Amino acid sequence: MGPGGVGRPVALIALIALGWFGLGLVVANSYYQLMLTLVPIWAVLGLAWNISSGYTGLVSFGHAAFFGLGAYTVTIALIRFGLTPWLGIPLAMAVGALAGAVIGYPTFRLRGHYFALAMLAYPLALLYIFTWLGYQEVSLPREQQAPGWYMQFGDFRVYIALALGLMAGAMLISLALERSRFGLSLLAIKQNEPAAEAAGIDTLAWKMKAIVLSGALAAAAGGLYAVVLLVVTPDSVFGILTSAQALIVTLFGGVGTLWGPVIGAAILIPLSETLQAELGDVLPGIQGVVFGVAIIAVILLAPEGVFWHLRDRLQRRRAPPPAPPFTTPVLPPTPPAVAGAGLVVKDLAKSFGGLRAVQAVSFTVEPGAILGIIGPNGAGKTTLFNLLNGFLRPDRGAISFAGREIGGLKPNRICRLGIGRTFQVVRAFPRMTVLQNVLVGAYVAAPREADATAAATEALARVGLAARAQDLAAGLSTRDLRLMELARALAGRPRLLLMDEPLAGLGAGAVEDLLAVIRSLSAAGLTIVIIEHTMGAMVRLAHRFLVLDHGSVLAGGSPREVMADPAVIEAYLGKKWAAIRA
Amino acid sequence: MLEIAGLSVAYGGLHALSEVSLAIGEGKFVAIVGPNGAGKTTLFKAISGTVAPTGGSIRYDGRELLATAPAARAHLGIAHVPEGRQVFASLSVLENLEMGAYAARERTRRPSFERIFALFPVLFERRRQLAGTLSGGEQQMLAIGRGIASMPRLLMLDEPSMGLSPAVADLIFERIAALHREDGIAILLVEQRVAEAVQSCDFGYVLETGRVVLAGSSAALLADDRIRTVYLGL
Amino acid sequence: MTPLGAAVEAFLQALAAGIFLGCLYGLMCVGLGLIFGVMRVINFAQGDFLMLGMYVTFYLVTGFGTLAFLGPIMAPYVGALLAGPVLFLGGWLLHRLLMSRITGTRAAGSEGDGHYSQLIFTLGVALVLENGALILFGSEPQSLRSPLAARAWEIPLLYDPLSAVFLNKASVVAALLSLVIGLALYLVIGRSRLGKSLRAAADNPVAAIYMGIDVDRAHRLAFAIGAGITAIAGGLVATYHPFQPYVGFDYVIIMYAGVVLGGMGSILGAFWGGLTIGLVQQLATLVIPLQLQNAAIFVVFLLVVLLRPQGLFGRTAERV
Repeated sequence: MGPGGVGRPVALIALIALGWFGLGLVVANSYYQLMLTLVPIWAVLGLAWNISSGYTGLVSFGHAAFFGLGAYTVTIALIRFGLTPWLGIPLAMAVGALAGAVIGYPTFRLRGHYFALAMLAYPLALLYIFTWLGYQEVSLPREQQAPGWYMQFGDFRVYIALALGLMAGAMLISLALERSRFGLSLLAIKQNEPAAEAAGIDTLAWKMKAIVLSGALAAAAGGLYAVVLLVVTPDSVFGILTSAQALIVTLFGGVGTLWGPVIGAAILIPLSETLQAELGDVLPGIQGVVFGVAIIAVILLAPEGVFWHLRDRLQRRRAPPPAPPFTTPVLPPTPPAVAGAGLVVKDLAKSFGGLRAVQAVSFTVEPGAILGIIGPNGAGKTTLFNLLNGFLRPDRGAISFAGREIGGLKPNRICRLGIGRTFQVVRAFPRMTVLQNVLVGAYVAAPREADATAAATEALARVGLAARAQDLAAGLSTRDLRLMELARALAGRPRLLLMDEPLAGLGAGAVEDLLAVIRSLSAAGLTIVIIEHTMGAMVRLAHRFLVLDHGSVLAGGSPREVMADPAVIEAYLGKKWAAIRA
Repeated sequence: MLEIAGLSVAYGGLHALSEVSLAIGEGKFVAIVGPNGAGKTTLFKAISGTVAPTGGSIRYDGRELLATAPAARAHLGIAHVPEGRQVFASLSVLENLEMGAYAARERTRRPSFERIFALFPVLFERRRQLAGTLSGGEQQMLAIGRGIASMPRLLMLDEPSMGLSPAVADLIFERIAALHREDGIAILLVEQRVAEAVQSCDFGYVLETGRVVLAGSSAALLADDRIRTVYLGL
Repeated sequence: MTPLGAAVEAFLQALAAGIFLGCLYGLMCVGLGLIFGVMRVINFAQGDFLMLGMYVTFYLVTGFGTLAFLGPIMAPYVGALLAGPVLFLGGWLLHRLLMSRITGTRAAGSEGDGHYSQLIFTLGVALVLENGALILFGSEPQSLRSPLAARAWEIPLLYDPLSAVFLNKASVVAALLSLVIGLALYLVIGRSRLGKSLRAAADNPVAAIYMGIDVDRAHRLAFAIGAGITAIAGGLVATYHPFQPYVGFDYVIIMYAGVVLGGMGSILGAFWGGLTIGLVQQLATLVIPLQLQNAAIFVVFLLVVLLRPQGLFGRTAERV
């Protein structure tokens, strides 16, 4: 995915489709014509897989379910009801979309291994059901009258054109997706699902949209496959090799980009088909061996796929742009008004098993103030943040923000109400620009793309990164990554910002830069709560301290008061400290 | 016995340790203190090999540890009791100790757990119980017991009092001191209870944001006001 | 014979078939469960280890005539047991040469990029193995029918002189051998120093390194043992079932269903899981058409994953 307009990629898609069709005009051999048709069809299945699995990172081994449903919908509609594939394929897409919703809703509750295994089971269950229904081998009848109406053509080049049309459509859909909040939200899920939730992204909703769209596209590919091959068997459309093929072409070409499945299909399908044709009699399994070796080689040599491998090499060869000289952040002349909002926490409690991580915690943050939460390791500070932004539901107590009770709401709802959060570990999209990285955070407050871009640009200016908006995030220093993450949280226009160890791992100079930015945000009216261990910086930054120890509030007040409190000194330095030093 | 020179560790651009040098002699007790995020746990991980340094050297008995496979380091007589205990929750208490003795087999014919049970009698009572069902304090005792089951010459303890009640923490401290005093094991201790740690050590180092900012004998450190500044910012 | 009597007879017959088949499934699942429990890797090639176990047994018995001297009854069982060490070696080499580059302590326990590439890597291995087998062994189904497969013990049912349950001798012997091997592995993993070190590496890989346990070697051993155990199960299946190079994927699904049912990562659980799958598969034939037998497995599997992902027999404190 790259920055810039859509003109060039659209032209490239058209060029590829036309070039491929030109090849079809030249080739006379009917076997090669079939191959030229199959490449775009498998590319569409790969593109479909890429939408629901490539961008989100949730690996599906079950895309054959959608492909097979598409193929059988077209076939059965034609045989039983005389419905032309011209209408059958759209019908198949509707069936695929519905299947995506029905499969996705329960399965998205699962993670990792369980998700992959569950997805594997759907097409295989369907395989046996279709066999039992008596559809072991279904041929599409030859229509003598009006063959064109039934999508049957004597000239194979029409099929090539149809397949290319479908592929171009799927590529354009992928392109639109990559350039919109849809694609960015999916990428954010892949990177860190909880962080995406905290940035206001309704992750379940986006994943559902992705699998519905993916199911429709995969079903369209299956429908066209049935029309081209004229015969459908449960094994050929629901079999595990079909699911594997979707994954293999995408993985080989490059995951998470619309070019990946196309490159993968264009290389692997002709290679394996040719080998099958030339050597199939002598070496019957050569196709599978080639696929297998291709997967192993890609995983070992270029796990990111051909596209990303080449692109990264190309980028490395070009001299990297010199980093702009060090500048202290310059605020826009008129800082946008951020109406600060206060936070009132009363008697908050959360236990894990027998461990009381947070107990009876109450405190108030005035609008526009900076509250520092400090305390020894394991004192419950991060648990408190997780309660405040909705990752955890409190067992007891109330959290009210700007006069509204928010305890127990989902993270994306809380973000929408104006509470942003940054994390200890910065997770950036290294292959995207700084601006695109920040855009992910802007969607929560901006209904239109233009508004989101404006909010992201403004947020970058507020942290002093405006000059680097178009650079790739991969080249940023640690300080700039921190600032970028801060900008991502600011882009959602929060009124309260929760910052988890923003200074960890920074050098002395970088700490001062971050402090300056945080102070300026506070001056513009933002309410800030910080967890941080760098005490020297914290006493200069925070207006008030809240000290946690063993899950409860040990002390609260101005930094000077708090750090002179004997109970705090004991918590930090041990109870014997005072006695020894006395 | 252990000499660390110019050790640096960076994770994805973050400098967790920069040019740290320290040493511990045979049978000595060295404490490392410093606020959270100072790089203490990273230092321990670099010594036992689960984190790869970007520069520097770690020599143990004159041998370069960075050229030794992580699992092989335990066989040299280094035991690491990690932060957060990390007991094998699905194994029994006895099996945990047997795993602790895994590296001892080459050096002693038959590892004996008598010393461990003498230090922590509760472990003997619970020897058949799964480690995951123990209380926090008991798990810490098991983690230390598992460490000494390998008959180490150097015992590294990472925050042994973390999350424990003061009474249990006192008990653990006392047992660590006994191990050093009576068994002659060299102790490298990372601890948040600064006063106790500094008071019982022979020599101490203060880490702040990945650097050694202060080093000295127990008495010298206790007299220095900079520890307080490092922790409290004032 | 009354209709009720016939139904009872059919039920008992299916129950017996389910138990015997289930024991074999149980042994396969134990092999897979060991790999999953220690390495936390989904291994798609496990079905092909099973298939290779079948072919190794087949060639040991018929191909070179090596085991012919043992006679037609003993030879297949000895062959199946020998397939274990052969596949142990194969698994060890596969891990040593290729898999260790993408697994190991770095990826253990994580479900990030490392896990993603392992999953796909094993899919690639599976494709190479089964299609390579097709090239080497041909697509003709083979069988190694033990003479026992044609014989059965007849257990008369007391209430009705006309009815009886037939127990196929080959499947009874295979089930008993599976039980013995499964139990032996359970004891080795539970009691021996080696087994404990595997469990420690599975439980907490980083702490295991601190104990001086070479976690990469533990993974390699678990992978090799798991491959060998599943290969033995394959050899035993081959004594009364025909097979061809593509059988792997049919069984890999059954194995995963069993391992998930058993709670992913407990040896005892994996065996129970496999047994349950065998029972579901055989008892399902009483109420639904034969072709839907396998669909029933997947429905049960999906229900378990969606409703009780910790498995039917899983307990969090008990892993491997």
